[in-house]
Amino acid sequence: MKESTKMLLHYITGIGIVVAGGVHLFTVFLTGPYLQNLAFSAGPYSVIAVYRNLLLAITLELLLLFVDYHALNGIRVILIEFHQGTKWERGVSWMLTVVGILLLVYGTRTILIANALA
Amino acid sequence: MEPLTTELKRALFGWFYPYKYSLERWAYALQRISGIAVAAYFLAHIVETGNVVGGLEVWSVPSTSVAGDVWTATFHFLDNPLFDVGLVVIGFMLAYHTINGIRLALTEFGFLQGRPTRPDFPYEPKSFAKAQRALFWVSVLFAAGTAVYALNVFFGV
Repeated sequence: MKESTKMLLHYITGIGIVVAGGVHLFTVFLTGPYLQNLAFSAGPYSVIAVYRNLLLAITLELLLLFVDYHALNGIRVILIEFHQGTKWERGVSWMLTVVGILLLVYGTRTILIANALA
Repeated sequence: MEPLTTELKRALFGWFYPYKYSLERWAYALQRISGIAVAAYFLAHIVETGNVVGGLEVWSVPSTSVAGDVWTATFHFLDNPLFDVGLVVIGFMLAYHTINGIRLALTEFGFLQGRPTRPDFPYEPKSFAKAQRALFWVSVLFAAGTAVYALNVFFGV
C-alpha cells in the first residue's frame, strides 16, 4: 500500500472515530447515570443491552475497526519517524499488522459473543 | 551511522522537551503524547471489555450469569480512584487529540491555510496563522472542559 493511501485511511478512520466514538460515549455518559450504564444488565443502555442492540453493536464493531487501524498506523508513523530504513520500516509494518489483527479478532469475539448472550 | 538507541533518545527528548520551540511544535508534541496515551487506553479497553463475556478463558458463549459475574468483578476492580484519575487524564488527551486531529485533517485537505504571501520578517509560519491557532486553543479548552466534566462524573467536583 502506498504511504499516501495509508495516510488517507488514517484521516478517514479519524473522522469515523469522531462519529462512532461520539455514539459510544453518548450511550455511556449521556443516556442516564453512567454507573447504571456500566452495570452488566440494568436498563436500556447498560453493557449487555448495548451489545444486544444490533445497530449499537455494529457501531462498536466499526469503532473497533477504525481505532485499531488509526492507533496502530499512528504508532507506525511515530516509529518510522524515529528511524528510517527498509528493514526497520518493513519490520514495524509487519509487527503492527499482526498486533492489529490479533486485537481486531479479540475485540470482534467480545462483540459477537456478547451479542449472542442469551 | 549513529546507534539506534542514540537516535531514539534524541527523538524522544525532541518531543517531550519542546521548550523554546513554536506553538505548532507544542501542538505536535501534545498530539503524539496524547495519541500514545489513547492507544494504550484502547489496548487496555479491549482486554477489559473482553471480560463482558468472561475474559480470555471463555471461547464459547457462556451463560449470562457467568459473564455477569466476571463483569461485575471487573467493574469492582476498576472502581478505584487511581483508575478514575487515569480516566480524567485520558479524557483530556482524547478531547485534545480529537479537536487537534480535526485541525490536522483540515490542514491535510488544504483548508484554513491562508493565502500564500511574500515571506517577511519575522517569518511567522502562514500555515499556522489565525484560524489554525484558534483551533489549537479550542482543542486545549475542549480538553480542559472534558477533564472538568470527568472530574465531575468520577469525583463529583
